[in-house]
Amino acid sequence: MTEPVAEPVARLAHTMATRALGWLHHNRERGRFPAETTADLTDPNSTYKSLGESALAASLLLREGLASPAEQRLARELLDFCWSQLGNGDLLYERQVQFPAMTDPLEVYGPLARSGYRHRRLHELLTHLHGLTSQRGTEHVPNRRLAVASASRMAGLGDEADWPALLGATWLGHTPEPWAIDWMTAYCLTHTVFHATDWGARPGDLPAHLREYLETWLPVWLDIWCEVKDWDLVIELLIVDACLPHPRSDPEIWRRVAAAQHGDGLMPRSGEPVTEDPDEAFHAHHHTTVVAAIAGALAVSRHRGAAAAV
Amino acid sequence: MSYPDASPQADFAAAAEALARHVLGALKGTQEPPGPGAFLAGAADTKAALAAVRVLGPDVFAPLLLTGAPFGAADRDAVTEAFRVFPPLPQDGEEVAWRDHAAATLLARHGGEPPGAAPPPVRVASRPWREGARTLARLAPLTLPGLPGPFTEPPAAHLLTACRGLARSLLRRDHTTAARLARWAALAGRGARRPLDVATALRHLELCGGSGARVALDIEIARRLLAGREGRTG
Repeated sequence: MTEPVAEPVARLAHTMATRALGWLHHNRERGRFPAETTADLTDPNSTYKSLGESALAASLLLREGLASPAEQRLARELLDFCWSQLGNGDLLYERQVQFPAMTDPLEVYGPLARSGYRHRRLHELLTHLHGLTSQRGTEHVPNRRLAVASASRMAGLGDEADWPALLGATWLGHTPEPWAIDWMTAYCLTHTVFHATDWGARPGDLPAHLREYLETWLPVWLDIWCEVKDWDLVIELLIVDACLPHPRSDPEIWRRVAAAQHGDGLMPRSGEPVTEDPDEAFHAHHHTTVVAAIAGALAVSRHRGAAAAV
Repeated sequence: MSYPDASPQADFAAAAEALARHVLGALKGTQEPPGPGAFLAGAADTKAALAAVRVLGPDVFAPLLLTGAPFGAADRDAVTEAFRVFPPLPQDGEEVAWRDHAAATLLARHGGEPPGAAPPPVRVASRPWREGARTLARLAPLTLPGLPGPFTEPPAAHLLTACRGLARSLLRRDHTTAARLARWAALAGRGARRPLDVATALRHLELCGGSGARVALDIEIARRLLAGREGRTG
């Protein structure tokens, strides 16, 4: 059973999610692939990554079932746009054929597949690769291995992962000195929780000792990164909070984050000024706006779950 | 006796560092004689030295309370004079009032004037953890053994607040606050499972926390509290 989220937090979270979704939808054309893009993707961390993240946010908004009919339409149109940019899956398929060891096609495909977008040949290829011994031995960093396991589960390829072992190999799994965390490690931690809980759908899948560890130290980490206005990381930590069985939903943190969001829905990644160039702003703040949509949706969902449980 | 009033705050801070080195040496058995009387006698700026005695407050008694080091008439007179030159002020906050009350209580045990009534209890458990940690840091000298407790709750009630504050301070490179909170984390965690390893945090502070004597003194006291070595030499 979840703890009730304070009502003002639920309102803030809902506003944040819907505004962020509106911005992602309104600006989606800025995330279009350049003409003549091929599957080898000279810069996979640019448009390709943004499309995958937009698709993830939209898929989670639909999964949580929180959106109004108008917002559901926006989320669906955003998914359609991403799928279309990916050649209705052809680009993912061609990339996976060219680079069988790469896992990013699967990681992008997972949320889309769960939302009903299927590419038959890609799916067959992914299923085949999923069964290879080679894939189990790929030398990922530990939280990336969790990402692959999570994407496989989302795409319906099967779930044979040894989740406790995967978790145990991560930084979080070692329950380290909380004061030894740094910026990059904090991102590793957030992604560990995202994937282990399937973005908050399975809060009970976190072992008790990791839940206790996170409940103890999340307030400290939220505090220090809120102090320096690192909104991107703060919001990812708020998602972690929403992935716990008993989210803390600190109203003060939520108020500060919500106050940082622009009226059009853009969520700045930091306290630095936002460029007035809309294309630059899109590329610089797209990720943070994606996580704002996800954090808002999950927080509202947990609130609704709590209300339903009463 | 009056003293020339030419000591800027920087001189007081330097004197507090010097006294902290003196007390640290006394704790480790390398400072002879160990008490604040010897520090005052050897100081070039007497007023700054007296200010330092007031700044360190109960911690000038740490060698006595933690190792049984002698505390003689010259030491009593030094603390008494410090109180005379820098008396407590009515507008002092609750943490300062409690530090003064603790120092006066210890002084009274060694021939000083009886202390006044204890200040009102400090409430930490009902405050948000960050605010509570700030209060605990300011009350760090009250972790010494045998002092009146400033709280209505037992120290164990503040373990989580102290540990969160310690982690936060380390992450912010606020080594002064971290060392002070380590004292509470050491004391409050006795008989309980601490959410972090205080000994490791202290070692990290020792290696990465700069060369300040006041931080070093807090680390040494925290170590002794952690080991339960109060009242023993060494």
